[in-house]
Amino acid sequence: MIKNYFKIAWRNLMKNKVFSFINVFGLAAGLASCMLICLYVYDELRFDKHHKNVEQLYQLGTVFVRSDGEKKSSTVPAGVAAAMKQEFPEVVNTTRFTTLFADDKVLLQYKNGSETRSFYESKGCVADASFFTFFDYNFIEGTATTALVNPNSVVITEAIAQKIFGKTSALNKIIHVESNTNGTSDYTVTGVFRPGAEPTHIDSEFFLSFLGGGLENYTKQQTSMAGNNMFFTYVELQKGTNVEHLKAKFPAFVDKYMGNDLKKAGFNKRQLMTAVSDIHLNSEIPENVTPPGSWTYLYILMSIALFTLLIACINFMNLSTARSSKRSGEVGIRKVLGAQRQGLIYQFMSESLLLSGIAFIFSIAIVRLLIPVFESVSGKIFSFTPPQYLGLISIFLGLSIVAGLLAGIYPAFYLSSFIPIKVLKGRFSNSLAAVSLRKGLVVFQFTISVMLIVASVVIANQMDFLRSKDLGFAKDQQLVIPLRSETSKGIYTPLKNALSVSNQIQSVGASAYYPGIFNPEDANYYREGQTADDSKPARTNRIDDNFLQTMDIKPVAGRLFGKAFTADSSSIIINEKAVSALGFASPEEAVGKKISTDRQTQKVSWTVVGVVKDFHFEDLKTPIMPFAFMLSERPDYNYLLAHVKGQDITTALKTAETAWHQLNPNEPFEYSFLNDDFQKNYKAENRLSSIVGYFTFIAILISCLGLFGLATFSAEQRTKEIGVRKVLGASVSTIVALLSKDFLKLVLVAVVIASPIAWFVMNKWLQDFAYRININWTVFAITTFVALMIAFLTIGFQAIKAAVANPVKSLRTE
Amino acid sequence: MLLNLKNIYKWYNVGGNRTFILKDINFEVQEGEFISIMGPSGSGKSTLLNIIGMLDEPNEGTYNFLHENVFKLKEKQRAQLYKQYIGFVFQQYHLIDELTVYENIETPLIYQDVKTSERKALVADMLDRFNIVGKKDLFPNQLSGGQQQLVGIARALIAKPKLILADEPTGNLNSKQGEEIMQLFKQLNTEGVTIIQVTHSEKNAAYSSHIVNLLDGVIKR
Ligand SMILES: Nc1ncnc2c1ncn2[C@@H]1O[C@H](COP(=O)(O)OP(=O)(O)OP(=O)(O)O)[C@@H](O)[C@H]1O
Ligand SMILES: [Mg+2]
Repeated sequence: MIKNYFKIAWRNLMKNKVFSFINVFGLAAGLASCMLICLYVYDELRFDKHHKNVEQLYQLGTVFVRSDGEKKSSTVPAGVAAAMKQEFPEVVNTTRFTTLFADDKVLLQYKNGSETRSFYESKGCVADASFFTFFDYNFIEGTATTALVNPNSVVITEAIAQKIFGKTSALNKIIHVESNTNGTSDYTVTGVFRPGAEPTHIDSEFFLSFLGGGLENYTKQQTSMAGNNMFFTYVELQKGTNVEHLKAKFPAFVDKYMGNDLKKAGFNKRQLMTAVSDIHLNSEIPENVTPPGSWTYLYILMSIALFTLLIACINFMNLSTARSSKRSGEVGIRKVLGAQRQGLIYQFMSESLLLSGIAFIFSIAIVRLLIPVFESVSGKIFSFTPPQYLGLISIFLGLSIVAGLLAGIYPAFYLSSFIPIKVLKGRFSNSLAAVSLRKGLVVFQFTISVMLIVASVVIANQMDFLRSKDLGFAKDQQLVIPLRSETSKGIYTPLKNALSVSNQIQSVGASAYYPGIFNPEDANYYREGQTADDSKPARTNRIDDNFLQTMDIKPVAGRLFGKAFTADSSSIIINEKAVSALGFASPEEAVGKKISTDRQTQKVSWTVVGVVKDFHFEDLKTPIMPFAFMLSERPDYNYLLAHVKGQDITTALKTAETAWHQLNPNEPFEYSFLNDDFQKNYKAENRLSSIVGYFTFIAILISCLGLFGLATFSAEQRTKEIGVRKVLGASVSTIVALLSKDFLKLVLVAVVIASPIAWFVMNKWLQDFAYRININWTVFAITTFVALMIAFLTIGFQAIKAAVANPVKSLRTE
Repeated sequence: MLLNLKNIYKWYNVGGNRTFILKDINFEVQEGEFISIMGPSGSGKSTLLNIIGMLDEPNEGTYNFLHENVFKLKEKQRAQLYKQYIGFVFQQYHLIDELTVYENIETPLIYQDVKTSERKALVADMLDRFNIVGKKDLFPNQLSGGQQQLVGIARALIAKPKLILADEPTGNLNSKQGEEIMQLFKQLNTEGVTIIQVTHSEKNAAYSSHIVNLLDGVIKR
């Protein structure tokens, strides 16, 4: 029986190639979308699940309680780890680490005889000796548990080891590391690991031992438990610990160990603790070592994928029921020959299952083909173990079967319900209910497509806005040359001079940080007549006397730093936001006033010499905050910035490179453009933008295929009517209009339904940005036009084909 | 008694008027009878046969099949009756376009859960008897009208029904073929199969034990 079903199903498939193609292709595309998203979701869900002790591992966090609100952070001061272990018997072990946050890249050098080889690496961290007993890493050289025990040890990835040492063993080799965060020192390689297939929230590629680095010294001096929250700290709890009980003891812990420090600092803290396996997706803290995943994002992706599949299933339903007149006779005869309704339902279901089975095979092929593209779009690497692959494949197969059942169930019930005498005697016509349902489903398909179009347009507009918005400084043609090592910091003056005299370069400045990258330094300032209690935080950047000119940041009162002003060592320049935060009535009033900050117990004061216009030193998701510039005491800038004149960037780069090599022959010349660096902050948005873009394309493609199928069928059915009309004198255009009108109406209804929903959802999305576009009517005008155009092109082909056909021919065949 | 119809009326509403197709039909069939229904075109023969075959329902009247009220049966039970008792030969053949000759003939057996090997033997036997072995892999649209009619008859007979309902079974056959079919029906009838056929041919009607004349929806005695 089953064999018989599949045989007939196969013949039907082969007989109606257009419809089969539409269904198989649509289902395959829908399934492939779902599968890719499945991979993505699965990968998100397995973060940090693989560590041996993961059930016992927790990450500490902090809630800063200030008068103006609370802020959560996933870091704590250095001393908390030791205090926890001392206070709570439940805490068996602790480990801390911190990324090299003040470096976007770190210089690693290896001296092999007389040859010095230099490399820049971006993902470094400093970690406690116990780090590798907490987290599972696959060591291919050295021993995980002891690797970071000795001072000045370093553990690196296989990739870095190969880059630096080639095929020879890395173990016990010495690398020279220069970091803004952890100072300059030589380190012995004590371990090499191969990053595993399992993702973790820690993405570091080299681990410096905490002992022996600059941070060790720093933490010895900075013992306050109020500030310096820079350590990601993990505790291992005794098996069977009641976590809630432990958390209940935290307020007393904070009081005991931090109370004094907090009183001095003028704010309060609460202690947080998050299970390591929850860090990536289920944490209440918005930022972590790597940006956490978000359920919202996953839900968006999953619903887009499911909708895509649903659109494909709807195609099958619509095409099957639309063409039911062709199958009705068969149903009637089979019933007379003894078929029961149930049997017929099975028969039709086996047709849709066969179809989804074929689609499954194609979709697996599509997924294989698209994985590299999807990896680059999603920023993930998908590698799984054989059992995981098997699990995924069975999930996918299950998904295909569900899709097949979903698509087939309605047509099966509909088709099997025919009454033999009705369909055997004379012409069969679709029931009104079936026709309206079909129309409803088409509207549904296009509602989804239109919503996706609106989303794509809005996201594209916002991304465009992010790219082109005036940031308050000259963001284009800014060449950034990082000064990472002692040597390169040392050539600041000659390099600046060499570039300043170049024809292609307008202006050169230097600074500790520049807009678009993380500016970790800040301080709390207060005005004359106030105390530290009234102080307000402001990000602080150390610059040279030409940085603001190079960046084209404009003063609104007072002046900028400059060569002419030699006594500026205790001068400060603030932005407009800082003016109002500090309580000055106007920029003019601020100029000449003193502002101070308390360093430890010592009061340090500056005179405001200038106020600059507000500018975006962070991406546009964050509002502009108070900001302060001061001259650096020593010329130890991290970056040299050169504003290139005109369009001749290539020559300017040549000039810079030549100068660099003359002054610093041992280190490679490296550069970036400020605007590119700034745009990197929108990685997640760019990702969303391209993913939504791709899926919009797929959804529209599948919807249009369905529409094409329906149009083909309707043209086929109305051949005789069209023939008669033409004989009676109808023009081609009236017939095209006749055939297209009904479908276009449906699309228009979809636009009307989709627009307000899409407007609401996208407005919600835009709330993430402090600076954003308004969704105006043009978005919907564009969408309506695009949707109608696409629909018309889809239908028009069939309509025109039918309209220009020779009427005599079509009448004769009837 | 195999079946009986009592006070059967069938009408259609055409433009507000009731057009009667069947008027007060009373009709009884004993097991083992061979009945011919005759009458001019449009007199309601096919309609009556469809009602007997439970494909159509009258607007009024009762119909008992093996002492069961047919109109109270569920679709499932009705399908069961088809399977067990009835073989239907349609005026318009109604073969399944997607199936080959072989498969068309085989289909009723599949619904009766006959084993594959047995099916093969039965179908081969039928193909042989109707002389269409050479056509077994062709699809209906590759056959002539007469050949299609033969396939339709073969399909109706394959499951050894106890009641054969045939609507002009020889309409598209030449006289020799028609005669052979009538011989076959006669033989089946002597083996105990009840047959009701609609026919325009006096010659064919002569094979039957009993003739019912239908005129404008009324049985004339
Ligand atoms: N759906 C319908 N609506 C109105 N009248 C109908 C309908 N179906 C059948 N009829 C009428 O019922 C009458 C009987 O039809 P039927 O098919 O039973 O005739 P018949 O005796 O089999 O004729 P033939 O010998 O030509 O096959 C015809 O006059 C036909 O017009
Ligand atoms: Mg008839």
